[in-house]
Amino acid sequence: MHIGAQERDDVLLRRSAKGDEEAFTELYRRHQAPIYRFALRMSGNIWAAEEIVQDVFMTLIRDPKKFDPGRGALRSYLYGITRNRVMKHLERVPREWMNQEIDEDYTGQAGQGFDVMTPAEWAEIRERREQVRTAVLELPVEFREAVVLCGLEELSYEEAAQLLDCPVGTIRSRLHRGRALLLAKLEMLRDGPRRASASR
Amino acid sequence: MTCEEFELAGLDLGTLRKDDPVQIAAREHLRVCPHCAALHENWQRLQADLHALGGETREAGAPARVEMRLRQEYRTQHKTVKAQRVAVFAGWSLAAAAVIVAAVSWVNWQRENGHGIVQRAAVDMQKAAPGGNNANGTKPAGPELGETLVASNDTGEFTLLPGSLPGTLEDATVVRVQMQRGALDALGLTVNEERASDLIQVDLLVGDDGQPQALRLAQNTN
Repeated sequence: MHIGAQERDDVLLRRSAKGDEEAFTELYRRHQAPIYRFALRMSGNIWAAEEIVQDVFMTLIRDPKKFDPGRGALRSYLYGITRNRVMKHLERVPREWMNQEIDEDYTGQAGQGFDVMTPAEWAEIRERREQVRTAVLELPVEFREAVVLCGLEELSYEEAAQLLDCPVGTIRSRLHRGRALLLAKLEMLRDGPRRASASR
Repeated sequence: MTCEEFELAGLDLGTLRKDDPVQIAAREHLRVCPHCAALHENWQRLQADLHALGGETREAGAPARVEMRLRQEYRTQHKTVKAQRVAVFAGWSLAAAAVIVAAVSWVNWQRENGHGIVQRAAVDMQKAAPGGNNANGTKPAGPELGETLVASNDTGEFTLLPGSLPGTLEDATVVRVQMQRGALDALGLTVNEERASDLIQVDLLVGDDGQPQALRLAQNTN
């Protein structure tokens, strides 16, 4: 059966629950990328992100009736499951590991447009991004969510509020505090090497 | 605008229109406050950093192997569900069939054990009666005048006792008794004296008056 792009998620999910594999595939392709990116940016680890995406859609396969269209969009529901899985992952993995698990796949695309730069400029920018990435991963989870959704995924406050199932004001204040913390952390990261070299 | 107000509004400065009053006030404040100007510069730099960091993974998606694994799991799951449904359906069908067979068997058994025996006996009697419905010309089981009466267990039919009237047997009851073979003599039957002391089981067809009208040796009697 043909599936139109405008076919609603809940209709697709119902068809998927009845054994329509095409409907399930369409649902997966519609939602996997943002969920994968969210998991990747929250965990900082591509393997964890992959596992989380698999877990989220496995839940959809095994228990599609858990989703209630009356309570919100499927996207919010999937984000809810993703957040839970991310939390579990973060509880399991010690914080210091997260920063060691800098994956080439995650940072590998940083070289886009860098071919016109000198190696020194390239290295500086790369270092700066690495610092930002580390600072984001060190934020408390609720601030990190807001920064990831509004700062990295560039969603509006309303969209982020809908996905995190909280008021828009909460998103604004979390983002505000998240950015303040990020700035402070980046200052510390920049000052750290300076202090270290000064003490020598 | 104060520094505090600037800090609160600063988050949205990038999204506000240029002619927005908050934007204008913020710009005015930035001109006169070097602390907030430095803060604003940091925000903008952070914004750019976040944008660049987001850009690294903007097009990222789960690898194709995740989709393959999930589709495989989906197929397995739905095949299992289908198999379970078929098994449940088959189980219920078998159970229903067994119940129906048991019910039919029970009804048949009830019929055979109840009035069925009596009816068969009555039909036997009618067949055995002289002048009864003997269309196929078989020999009646009842005695004729002058004949020797011998109880038989070969045919399973009742043998009328001397003096019984076949027509009155329709409501007769079958009673199984154990007796000595010699007691058959009292019912007017010929008994082999050598075996007179054997214990035998006999089905007696007892009429409304309580008198035995016919008898049959039970099948398991030797």
